[in-house]
Amino acid sequence: MPSWAELEQFLVSGLALGGVYALSGVGLVVLYRATGVLYLAFGAVGAMGAFIAFEMIQSGTPGWSAWIVCVLFGGVVTLVYGMIFGPPLAGRDPVVRAVATLGLTLILFGIMDLVWTVTGGRVRSISLPTDNGGFTVLGLQVTWTQVIALGGGVVLTVGTAAFLRYTKLGTAMRAMANDREITATLGVPVRRVEAAAWFGCGILAGIAGLLLADLVQLDSTTLTFLVISSLAAALIARLRSIAVTFVAAIVIGVIHDLLTPFTALTNYRDMTPFVLAAIALLWASRHRTVMTRSGEEA
Amino acid sequence: MTGVETTGSAAAAVAGQRLPLLRRPQRPVHLSVTVILVLFILFALPQLMSLYYTGYMTLVAIYSIVTLGLGLLVGRVGLYSLGQGAILQIGAWTAARLLFATAQPFPLVIIEAGLVTMLIGTLIGLPAIRLRGLYLALITLMFAGAITVVLATVNFPNGGRGFTGYNGNQVHIPPIRRPSIAGTDAAYFRYAVVVALLMFVLVYVHLRTRPGRAWAAIRQSEPSALASGINATFYKLWAWALASFITGIAGGVLAGNAHYLYSVNFTTQDSIILLAVALMGGVYNLWGAVIAALLMQLLPGVLQNLGVSYAWLTILFGIGVLQVLTTAPAGLADQVPRDLARLGRFLRRRFGKPAPAARSTP
Repeated sequence: MPSWAELEQFLVSGLALGGVYALSGVGLVVLYRATGVLYLAFGAVGAMGAFIAFEMIQSGTPGWSAWIVCVLFGGVVTLVYGMIFGPPLAGRDPVVRAVATLGLTLILFGIMDLVWTVTGGRVRSISLPTDNGGFTVLGLQVTWTQVIALGGGVVLTVGTAAFLRYTKLGTAMRAMANDREITATLGVPVRRVEAAAWFGCGILAGIAGLLLADLVQLDSTTLTFLVISSLAAALIARLRSIAVTFVAAIVIGVIHDLLTPFTALTNYRDMTPFVLAAIALLWASRHRTVMTRSGEEA
Repeated sequence: MTGVETTGSAAAAVAGQRLPLLRRPQRPVHLSVTVILVLFILFALPQLMSLYYTGYMTLVAIYSIVTLGLGLLVGRVGLYSLGQGAILQIGAWTAARLLFATAQPFPLVIIEAGLVTMLIGTLIGLPAIRLRGLYLALITLMFAGAITVVLATVNFPNGGRGFTGYNGNQVHIPPIRRPSIAGTDAAYFRYAVVVALLMFVLVYVHLRTRPGRAWAAIRQSEPSALASGINATFYKLWAWALASFITGIAGGVLAGNAHYLYSVNFTTQDSIILLAVALMGGVYNLWGAVIAALLMQLLPGVLQNLGVSYAWLTILFGIGVLQVLTTAPAGLADQVPRDLARLGRFLRRRFGKPAPAARSTP
């Protein structure tokens, strides 16, 4: 049984990881509510952006421009995908639209495999300047990157909630989440609102990729499948509530990292999101849910 | 295996109801082509192939069972699973464990592996199947990720002791045994083909009888299937259990084929690629499963021979998924014959005489 002193440091890193999951999970939920697409390429887009930033930093480009390129790459790729494949799949079942984003995942994954082949166990990572600075709180070492990760998650959750509640665009997105057809009839430029949602989600993918490349490591498989953890958070919130997504993401991140010092469980800590989501799903399916023609819950 | 496109058309369902199995083949040409193809694969192909391609074709036979199960779920019932790779791993693990632990005959072991896999797969699917389709896809994707984590720690059995049967310090690792009648690679290829054939027959019988009609009704519209007295959850679970069972059997055959199993060879993206190739091959047609297995297991062999990176194939599968979902939902199994027929018509018009050569291939 590890002592509290050992656990403390993992609590900090867990909160940071949870912050990134929250940021990703909120992005996924908002895009899903606005467009009906569950964006499974989220992790792959972020990973590829991080790789491009890594390559730029290696070739001597100033860091800040590489980070901007990484974030914009996420936004642009996601926007282009949404504009090309959004409309033809708009009438299909949600699961078909989610599977289509796996096509993008595979394409990006293949490109990363081709360009940045794993060579002899060389571990790549991006180090942001915020790694070095930091402060001590209650005897705990905290880096600015960890603060940004957790703070980003909090700010984004609150900001998105306010955005959806108070702005015109946010109201349009909420309307579309309710009923796309009626929203279009009322004169909302549906395609433009969708484009905004796609671009916003892509920007978040880029930010998440950059932060995870620093906090975890820069590896295409790891980063691509880290989307699973954010997905679990979104799933616990039943792809609906931003607040629940945030809480679930923090819990997943903290439990995941707190399990690290336990020798019996440390190898299984990556199962945390799956186990928590499975429990949540079991709880949710305790009443029989009848499906309607469109696949929405009745 | 004729008339495989029983995708729930009313006529086929009615015909199936009258004389489920013993009716005269509707298309004798297709049946004879299939029989000739099977005989060729069983008796001539192993002699013609090099050892290199025998290995890859054995994998094609094994994975055609997996894509058959996945095609059944996606095409017939509308359940998208992103965890079939994980289910295959459970089957392979169970079979390897039993083959080391007991002296039971090989066929018995793979059936047991299939049953264990069916049980585990059903337990996973049970909570998600009652919710809408997206949840099943997500929970199976997470399941695939979790199984990869577990197997990275537990490892595949290598003849050690204890429940996991893994001994990390073992110097002489005994190979996983094969059936006595199929020791050589060519013989094991035939064995795998026979197992695959049996699984195709099993699924075909299901499609032609009561469960097949229930699945067709559920896929058309779940509320109306419920209204006509079909227990939708039960039949969905049945499809899920059947797919898990045959995937577990495929895992058992895979264990015998590989001799040694390593968890590093099984990744989460395998599960995603499985769904990609199943969609590309075509989920509404049993031939689609064979095409999907050829795409997934033979193409890497060909590419490796040519010195091309596997990553290109991943990119191709990604493009294939998007293409299938946006323009050709029935996949290559539907597209290729249609395009061949179109080519035939074009040639006939061009040269002013009949060109029947393009019509016979299914």
